[in-house]
Parts: sequence; C-alpha cells; structure tokens
Amino acid sequence: MILTLVVITALGFDFTNGFHDTANAMATSIATGALRPKVAVLLSAVLNLVGAFLSIEVALTVTNAVVNIQNSDGTPKPELLADGGTALLVIVLAGVIGGILWNLLTWLLGLPSSSSHALFGGIIGATVAGLGWSGVKWTGDGSKLDGVLGKVVLPALISPVVAGVVAAVGTWIIYKITIGVAARFTDNGFRWGQIGSASLVSLAHGTNDAQKTMGVITLALIASGEWTNTSDIPIWVRVSCALAIALGTYLGGWRIIRTLGKGLVEIAPPQGFAAESAAATVILTSSHLGFALSTTQVATGSILGSGVGRPGAQVRWAVAGRMVAAWMITLPAAALAGAFMWLVADLIGGVAGAVVVFALLLVAAGFMYQISRRTPIDHNNVNDEWQPAPAPASLSKEHA
Amino acid sequence: MNNLTLALDSAWKVLLIGILIGAGLPAIFAFGIRSMAYGTGGDAEVHATGSAGPRPHPAGRIGAAACFGVVLLGVALGITFIVATGFGKELSFEHVYPTLVSKD
Repeated sequence: MILTLVVITALGFDFTNGFHDTANAMATSIATGALRPKVAVLLSAVLNLVGAFLSIEVALTVTNAVVNIQNSDGTPKPELLADGGTALLVIVLAGVIGGILWNLLTWLLGLPSSSSHALFGGIIGATVAGLGWSGVKWTGDGSKLDGVLGKVVLPALISPVVAGVVAAVGTWIIYKITIGVAARFTDNGFRWGQIGSASLVSLAHGTNDAQKTMGVITLALIASGEWTNTSDIPIWVRVSCALAIALGTYLGGWRIIRTLGKGLVEIAPPQGFAAESAAATVILTSSHLGFALSTTQVATGSILGSGVGRPGAQVRWAVAGRMVAAWMITLPAAALAGAFMWLVADLIGGVAGAVVVFALLLVAAGFMYQISRRTPIDHNNVNDEWQPAPAPASLSKEHA
Repeated sequence: MNNLTLALDSAWKVLLIGILIGAGLPAIFAFGIRSMAYGTGGDAEVHATGSAGPRPHPAGRIGAAACFGVVLLGVALGITFIVATGFGKELSFEHVYPTLVSKD
C-alpha cells in the first residue's frame, strides 16, 4: 500500500519535473518565434522521452549524494528495513512530496527553480525528521565532490555564472561577426541554430532527470522486497518514468516559460542560439566531469548572459534577483515541507499516516492549481508583452 | 574546504571548454550566416536603400557550407556523447579525433 503511494508520488514528481523544466530548453525558441509554442513543447517532450530511454546507467544511488539511507551499492540501510521497509518508504514518500509541493509553488509564481534541488531538499528534510541530523551527508569524504555542499550548494553558486559567461561571450562574438548582414537574414538563420541547440538541451535533460525518479522508485521497490537486482531497473519503471516526464514536458510549464523567455531579457534569435548553445555545452561538459548541476540554473544563467553580451540589450535584474532568491530557498523550503510531511505521517503512523500525507499533497496541489486558473498562462499568451511587476490586485479580480 | 577546491577545479575546466565549444561553435555558425549573406547578396546584406544591394558571390555559399558542416559535426559529437554516456561509454580525445571507450 505505502509502496504504491511512493510509486505514484514519484511519478507525480517526475511529471512536475517535466513541466517545470520545459522552459530550460524551449523558452528561448518560443520567445523568438523559432518554434510555435505547441510545436516546441512537443519536440521537447519527444526528446525527453527518447533521452529517458537512452541511458542504461542505473541512478539507484541518487539519494547517496545527500543522505545516508542507502549503502554504497544502492541497497537500503538494513536498520531501515526492520518493519518491511516502512521506515524507508515513509522517508522517501514524505521527501518526494516535499519536492512536488515546492515545484508546484514555484511554478505558480513562474519561477524557474531546480527540480533536482527540490527533490534533494525534500528527502533531506524527511531524513532529518526521521533519522536526525546525522542522517544527512553534508560534505562527503573529501575524495570527490559529494554531500549537500559538493553536489548542491557549490554547483548552484558556480554553474549559472559559468553558463552566463559562456553565453555572454558567445552572444558578443555572434553580434560582432554578423555586423553588415541584414537582420531578417540573420534571424532566419539563427532560428535554425536555436532549434538544434535547444533540442540538445532537451535530450540531455531526458537522460539526466528521468534517471533520478527511476532510482527513487527502484529504491522503494528494493526496500519492500519487490526487487533485488541493484544493477538494473524494472522495465515498467523505466517506461512509466519516461512517459511521466515526457507528458509533463508536453503539458508545458507556461508560467515558467514566460518568465524565462520574456521576463529576463528580450531575446532575439542570435541571443537565444548563443544561450542554448552555452547551456548545452555546460551541461554536457559538467556531466562528463561529474559536476552535478541543475539544468534550470544553467539555462537561466545562459539567458542572462545572452542579455549581458548583447550591446544595448535590457536585462531585468529584478526578475533575475527573484529567481536567485528562489534558488537559495529551494533546498531549505523543500526540506521543511518534507520534514513536515514525515512528522505528520509518523504522528498518525503506518499506512494511515502515508495515506494522510498523500491526501495532503492532493489537496495542496489542487489548491495551487485553482489559484493558477485565476491568471492562466498558456500557449496563447505566453509571449505577451512583459508587464513590470504584475499587480497583486489582479490575483483577486475574479474567482476560478 | 576540499569540496571548494574540487569544485573550482571542475569549474574552470567547464568554463574553458564552454567558451571553446559553447561560444566557439556559435561563432562558426555566425561566420556561416555571414558567408551565406555574402553568397546571397542583395537584400541579405545591409546596403543603401534604393540600390539593388551587392551582387551574389558563389564563394560565399561554399564558405557557408563549410561552416555549417563544422557545426553539424559538433552537434553530432554532442549527441554521441549523450548516448555514449548513457550506455556506459565515454568519448575520448586521446587520439585527437574522438573515439568511444568504456568508462572505468
């Protein structure tokens, strides 16, 4: 019973991960008109689906980066398996719920925050609540980048800056090179470049992010004795995770797409091309070097950089500031949500506790969806002129 | 503190490769566009209004094709990298040209 809830919740997280991150790859292509909004999300969804199947590596040890609930081979710690794995399942369930709640809230506010950090945050919070502070791996053993500091905090500080610099340099060079070429001619050419580079980002996203959910579900299956092989993932887990992330991507997080595509910088095709090329390169290079980073932060940094690199372009630093603030509180906020959910589940206890927190998730998700309907943003108005600081009054204007 | 040195160690590599490839390939693409405009002539290039614009230069098209070819090669490498990583291989540049090797 609890296992079923964990699987459904994890797939739900995968789904939010998809629509939260559509913007990373496609916001710029949608903003410059390189792709029509519906075509862009479809392309991104298909590439995410393909990406999820491309990787046969098993991300079973995904939680090992930040918490101590698994052995290094991916099997759960034996002390958590005493009562049929319930202890571990409840931690995972509460953690993933924390991640989903934060993803939904930031989506509602149109803020591109990191889905991986939300997942890590939720699981850290649930672990602290369940096992105490010693359950969290803060720094690793020093031999490689590890722990909360090495896998989350430092990459979060460094990667947007690196991506921004690369995109700024790229944008600046492109504008230098194409002086003397008619704007309409360059725009058409760069739209093609944009589609190519954005596709690479989508593909890389599918291979990286779907893995994490697959790892979480497989961990839950092992904990409850339904699966024993630590070097493989059940095929149905792979298929359902791939479908969940692709469906989420296709739904499109229009609110976030709008912020990234229109809010930060007015993007012209050469800038969009430079931004996505920088993002694709930084993501691929980093994963090659084992430097864990957030696709979202890299994409945001790149788009900012493309605004800095174009002479005379306007960058809305206030919007950027809100995003950075959201990044900084992503981990603690998701952790609080995860910890709260664990405490509720523990207070009630057993299956009933798990059912209650799951119900809480549904209520909160439904509530946020209702609020979102009051100021809908979809493929029709995603590219409307950006209004500086939306008036809060517009929120209460009409009821959904 | 170890984490910080390790992170900075990776960061400058990512920055270096990022600028080389992430800004370099777009630059080559931009050269391709410029070359294409030179090859197309007329309204593709900025010229005084009222005049017909520069005439087309076939050499420009050849240059453009070469630039786009290099960029496509780069993209192909990128895709190979994503796929190879997923299947437990990695791209090695030991022999200058990229080869696939097993990850250890």
